[in-house]
Amino acid sequence: MRLPTISPRVRGILIYAAPVAVGAVLLAVSGGLRLGTVNDLTSLLLLLVLAQAWNLVGGFGGQFSLGHSIFVGVGGYTTAMVLGHLQTPLWLTLVIAGAVSAAAGLILSYPLLRLRGPYLAIGSLGMALAAMGWMMNWDFTRASQAYPLPAKQVPGLFELFQITTVVTVLALLAVIALLRSPLGLRLIALRDDERGAASLGVRRLRTLVPVWALSGFLTGLMGSLSAMQKGTLTPATAFDVQFALDAAIICVIGGLGTLSGPVVGAVVVFSLRLFSVDFADWSLLIEGVIVVLVVRFVPGGIVGLVVRGWARLRAGRSDSGGPGALSAQTGAVAVQTRAVPTRAGA
Amino acid sequence: MELAIQGILLGGLYATTALGLSLVFGTMRMVNLAHGEILVVGAYLASIAVAATGMDPLLLAIPVAVLLGLVAYPIQRYVLTPVMRHGEEAPITATFGISVIASTAMLLLFSSNPRSVSSPYSTATVEVLGLSVRVVLLIACAIGVVLVLGLGLLLQRTAFGRRVRAVSIDPEAAGLVGINAGRTYAQVFALAAAVAAVGGVLVGMTFSVDPGAGMTWLLRAFTVVVIGGLGSVAGTLTGGILVGLVETFGAALIGAQYRDVVVFGVLVVVLLVRPNGLFVRKAVAR
Repeated sequence: MRLPTISPRVRGILIYAAPVAVGAVLLAVSGGLRLGTVNDLTSLLLLLVLAQAWNLVGGFGGQFSLGHSIFVGVGGYTTAMVLGHLQTPLWLTLVIAGAVSAAAGLILSYPLLRLRGPYLAIGSLGMALAAMGWMMNWDFTRASQAYPLPAKQVPGLFELFQITTVVTVLALLAVIALLRSPLGLRLIALRDDERGAASLGVRRLRTLVPVWALSGFLTGLMGSLSAMQKGTLTPATAFDVQFALDAAIICVIGGLGTLSGPVVGAVVVFSLRLFSVDFADWSLLIEGVIVVLVVRFVPGGIVGLVVRGWARLRAGRSDSGGPGALSAQTGAVAVQTRAVPTRAGA
Repeated sequence: MELAIQGILLGGLYATTALGLSLVFGTMRMVNLAHGEILVVGAYLASIAVAATGMDPLLLAIPVAVLLGLVAYPIQRYVLTPVMRHGEEAPITATFGISVIASTAMLLLFSSNPRSVSSPYSTATVEVLGLSVRVVLLIACAIGVVLVLGLGLLLQRTAFGRRVRAVSIDPEAAGLVGINAGRTYAQVFALAAAVAAVGGVLVGMTFSVDPGAGMTWLLRAFTVVVIGGLGSVAGTLTGGILVGLVETFGAALIGAQYRDVVVFGVLVVVLLVRPNGLFVRKAVAR
């Protein structure tokens, strides 16, 4: 699983350096790209941030949330309000949007964390649909009418791409830092074996609430940027449950609970949608089929498959795979999941 | 009074839509996130069949149910049961994938326009206790009660029911006495899909459906099941009636546009207060 040729310390530096390097390259070449391409890349990066934020909760936390569309919508509408009423610089607008979403994450996580497994999935879906239903009838958000962002204050497509690139890199760094922190270890320990983790003093709420808040913050940033990209908001588009579905699909295809999973998944899903641009629904159909196939045959997703193949290649012998492959999920990350006793209490 | 009767009748319908979900959970401890899509597919199939043959939708509900049961059997046998071994989260993801496939396929085939199952009596009303009630709702409620009773008898009184109960209590021990758990799971899932298809036809006759409606119906069915106690067949009737009443009164009090919001709100509150059901005294070990 670990590459013996690279020491953990170098690896640690590399993991932080990689997103920065890719971001720098993107920024450097963006000048030579067509506007359409730049806009597509922005969409791709937004999917990536969304999936990465969801993965904290859905992958590393093991909580299949279908409520993340709330954070996208809160981020989007906060941005519309701030741009319309305050003269804040853009970065501050983004921070405010993220912070309000993080607050939503804090508030929602308390009730949601009482639920587990399918209960949490359905409870969060209920919250998402309730929030959308509420927004559609609330005068404050002009009910179901479109809410345009002030055109003068919204950055152009080009500038938006650059901002999105920076935000994506920062989001990735934040996620990496979280996962390499004690909090990240506690998060994964709780997912793998709740009783075992609890017996070592890991508190469920104290671990998960901040993670939900961070996930909400990052999703809110994505919602804010997505609102700027679209230019107008309606409750049906800003709170679209499809956001949560997208995030889940991307992470499952790429590899749940891995750092690179959402990146790989976002690229795969986005290319699928790009090539079937006239048949957006076909793309979703194919994605659904891939999700089912992945769950059935390669539970670790694309990343899990690569990691397993790599390990098999190195070991030079065939590996039994099967349910044990689940523990390979985190193999792509420099997090020592293996140090945690798995399913001791179950 | 009128509201109460309407709520109770709606409750019978809601019980029908929730039965399959409860049955699957009771047997396999699995929540089928694609349950709502089964309902919607049932409604669409019935609507097409009615348009093609001109027959009574209630008669057509039978072949629709059989068809969906046949489709559901291999899904459980070759996809969901093997996936259940991967852990608790895997079936959530798998049924989620299936729901995406089903709703998108319907969107591709039928566009996003709402559709309803037409029947000769879809707009007719009768007088009950001096109040006018939609005939369709009366029929739906009656079918709901019959299905709840029938399913209860099936589980309690037949060899198949004994097998299902044995597998739900302990699949390994059931295997030791010669019960094929995999096959039983698939039979239960097929039965649940067939019942859900009937529910879908009734929903299509009473309201209308669109390809995205599955999610709303999943949530409503889940609310019914949670209130009645997860896995309890008789509980779905109580749960259905309670949801029907709350929804009808809620819509009358704060506005019809908040109808769904009321249901989702009830769901969230019930999940937080009594995740095991309002009428279940002892906690169900998960």
